Amino acid sequence: MTCPYLDYREQAGSQSFDEARPYCTVSDRFVQPMRADICNDRYDLDHASHCEIYRENEEGDP
Amino acid sequence: MSYDDFLAGVPVIVTAALTGGVHGKEANPAIPETPDEIGRAAAAVEDAGASVVHLHARDPSGERSFATERFQAIDDAVRAHADDVVIQHSTGGTGAPTEERAGPLRTDPPPEMASLDMGPLNRYDHLTSENTRATVDALYDEMADRGVKPELEVFNDGHINEAHGLLDRRALDEPIHTTLIFGPGTLTRPRPQNFLTAIDDLPDGATFNTLGFGRHQLPFATMGILLGGHVRVGLEDNVYYEAGELAASNAQLVERVVRVAEELGRPVATPEQTREVLGL
Repeated sequence: MTCPYLDYREQAGSQSFDEARPYCTVSDRFVQPMRADICNDRYDLDHASHCEIYRENEEGDP
Repeated sequence: MSYDDFLAGVPVIVTAALTGGVHGKEANPAIPETPDEIGRAAAAVEDAGASVVHLHARDPSGERSFATERFQAIDDAVRAHADDVVIQHSTGGTGAPTEERAGPLRTDPPPEMASLDMGPLNRYDHLTSENTRATVDALYDEMADRGVKPELEVFNDGHINEAHGLLDRRALDEPIHTTLIFGPGTLTRPRPQNFLTAIDDLPDGATFNTLGFGRHQLPFATMGILLGGHVRVGLEDNVYYEAGELAASNAQLVERVVRVAEELGRPVATPEQTREVLGL
């Protein structure tokens, strides 16, 4: 399951792009491309296990 | 390689890491992401003195891609825009199966070189790029089958052991070409003594490329030039020109390190000299 906090946006704040890019609605910033594999649960990656932003937001995990 | 090579005027090979796969335009809008942008960046860094381009592929959203077709489009663009630069593909990846990571080796023609990560490294807080020995061996075997020169990426001292281990398991063509990587986290701490120790521990006759992340890019490149090594710069490894000022382009970073080499009296290798030095 894709992270519920993942969005794809062309513009946010002062940044804008020609193509929509992964955007984290928890940290309110565009996601590093490598981290987007975690957001999208690609391969063996899982946002609930591997993303500290999701874990901190959901579980209070330090 | 040693200070004697510097004194002897052995040409320094400049590799430009143009795009990477970790950060993208969200970190610096000058990072080339599309095939055409990467092709034009390759031409610019070649004009500036780079003879090798280290390439990753991305989807239109900027996310990384291992697809052979995407690498093919990039290579086609590089050859359309640049003159004679050596193409080096990344096979690095986190979480991706080995079969996907071999996709960059399957272009037509194959890349002249490809990176081969020597072992694990931590990513973020809950993830490790595994790079098991089985993965290293499988990627190396496909490189050997396709005539691709491996560039052994050494992220820390333990990876030097892994490089020696690979040489015990496989018969690599000489010279063994490595990249010594310095920076935060799992990487070797960026200190001059660690650099000297790493050079001393390399397999006999190995060449080394010098890679410092972030603010360490220029000082480590300078040390690499003086110690007879080769250097890698570019927006994959460092998005800043100086503190607080984003780099304007990959070519800007190449131009600076070429100026340093020339000021120190070390010639910069042409693509032809690079192929000769590395046995391509």
